[in-house]
Amino acid sequence: MNAVDQEARIARLKSVAAELRKNTLTLIHKAGDGHPGPALSIADLVTALYFDEMRIDPKQPKWEDRDRFLLSKGHACTVLYAALAKLGFFPESLLPSFRSLGSILQGHPVMDKIPGVDMTTGTLGHGLSVGAGMAVAGRLGKKDYRVYVIVGDGEANEGIVWEGAQVAGNMRLANLTAFLDLNNFQSGGAINEVSGINRIPVADKFRAFGWNTLDIDGHDYKQILGAIAAAKNETAAPTMIVAHTIKGKGVPFMENNNVWHKGVPNAEQLAEAVKALEAA
Amino acid sequence: MNAEKTASTRQAASDAILELARADPKVVMVSADSVKAARATKFAETFPDRLFEVGIAEQTAVAFAAGLASCGYKPFVMTYANFITMRACEQVRNYAGYTHLGVKLVGLNGGLHGGEREGVTHQSVEDLAILRAIPGMEIVVPADAGQVGKATRAIVDRPGPGYIRVGSGREPVLCADDEPFVFDKLRVMRQNGRDATIFAVGPVLRNVLQAAEALNAEGVGVTVVDLHTLKPLDRDGILAQIAAAKVVITVEDHNVIGGLGSAVAEVMAEEACAKPLARLGLQETFGVSGEGNALLDAFGMSAENIAGAVKRLLGRVRP
Repeated sequence: MNAVDQEARIARLKSVAAELRKNTLTLIHKAGDGHPGPALSIADLVTALYFDEMRIDPKQPKWEDRDRFLLSKGHACTVLYAALAKLGFFPESLLPSFRSLGSILQGHPVMDKIPGVDMTTGTLGHGLSVGAGMAVAGRLGKKDYRVYVIVGDGEANEGIVWEGAQVAGNMRLANLTAFLDLNNFQSGGAINEVSGINRIPVADKFRAFGWNTLDIDGHDYKQILGAIAAAKNETAAPTMIVAHTIKGKGVPFMENNNVWHKGVPNAEQLAEAVKALEAA
Repeated sequence: MNAEKTASTRQAASDAILELARADPKVVMVSADSVKAARATKFAETFPDRLFEVGIAEQTAVAFAAGLASCGYKPFVMTYANFITMRACEQVRNYAGYTHLGVKLVGLNGGLHGGEREGVTHQSVEDLAILRAIPGMEIVVPADAGQVGKATRAIVDRPGPGYIRVGSGREPVLCADDEPFVFDKLRVMRQNGRDATIFAVGPVLRNVLQAAEALNAEGVGVTVVDLHTLKPLDRDGILAQIAAAKVVITVEDHNVIGGLGSAVAEVMAEEACAKPLARLGLQETFGVSGEGNALLDAFGMSAENIAGAVKRLLGRVRP
């Protein structure tokens, strides 16, 4: 791809991400519930996967050759729902029904209720273990689909994350690519005050479990797209892309402010957020 | 008593899975370092690319199986029942239950009889209660090895999650080879129910059959029912088998809370079936290490205990 095309590609993705961020905050505002900070920190990763990389077909959500995506940090699902709606898996008009009785848009992702959701998640820690099962299924069936997982940094406190890391590393699942959303906060505060999960860098830990690892700026599309491409070139190991991100990214009053781990912007705050996102 | 014929329920499950795998390339196994315990060495040798070893990581075994099932495979996770239903309880609920995926679980060491000398940590006496609380989870406790093979074949193509409870590998043979297994329909093993109907599951049926024989010799008419499918429950079958009886007994190698006895009691209460009921099984206690049959005797599930319970209840209803 030449430089001009690459620039246009990235400009398009940035514009999509801004829209997903706006839609995320709008739906949280209307629904009166949600986790804005964790959703905003992964918005660029979700955008790169769903609007550039993944082989999907909104008309065939269960297409057996599709790439799979697991949002292991399921509480950030508002940005996934915004992406799936924009792609046409379900109408965008459903977004404000999030978390309300009768809506398909459950509080955390549910595979057989929400078109486009490949796996139910929400209880932390399961993306790598379930994703490993999907990856071996692909290998066994001689399918060339890939499996993508986004794991939270706080989530990596869970023991099963490391079971999954061990299994995927041992099985050399090169068709499995995960992102660790290193936004440096978990529910209770800064990760290194609450749990110390990154005192020894998580990338080092995954490397010790047999993974190919990369460290990137999780808001820089050149780096995100480059890391995804590098992971596809890896043939002997799963890849963990440690994405250094900002919790609440794109909305100045939410950035690095853990009050917004879970919270609902009021009308005034939403207007301010939208203004910031449109100006960027 | 003469040397009793035994056959391994573990081996029977593994043999059935191997046979199913030969016919269906979608049948796979997930091991939590449980190939040996599951008697699945032959499967591993025959289908090395369809045996996924995740190591001693039961939570991941179940989650991993859900991933396989979501891609169209029919995974069997076969390891200790306690570790499936307790260590991996959340994974069973959310990733096999809530997803409605066809994850098949085979729990070893069911009951005191199955866990026997290993002791409490390896004796599964709450598995049925835990799994009954999970919507859509199908639960089967076959009577013996022959029935295990048939039950395994019966559940493999059912769309949702399922559980089969097996034992240590030293289970009494209780059924003829040609005895059918019909999923979700109870099976009457002795029909003579003018006095008592006894519902039971698994190897403890041996003691129930002995009790029934002794009672019949004393002129007490007893019907013995193998209620092998605990979910979905054969409610009409239960009521039909109770109809003629004066008293009802349940016998389970399990905590009396939440398992077979609870299931029968719930049906009786909801259908206003006002007959005396005794639930034999573990009564607010943990087990201990010991030989399987000796444990059943020690914890109130011997043939004598069962016959005694019947007579006690009948004494209560006789004028």
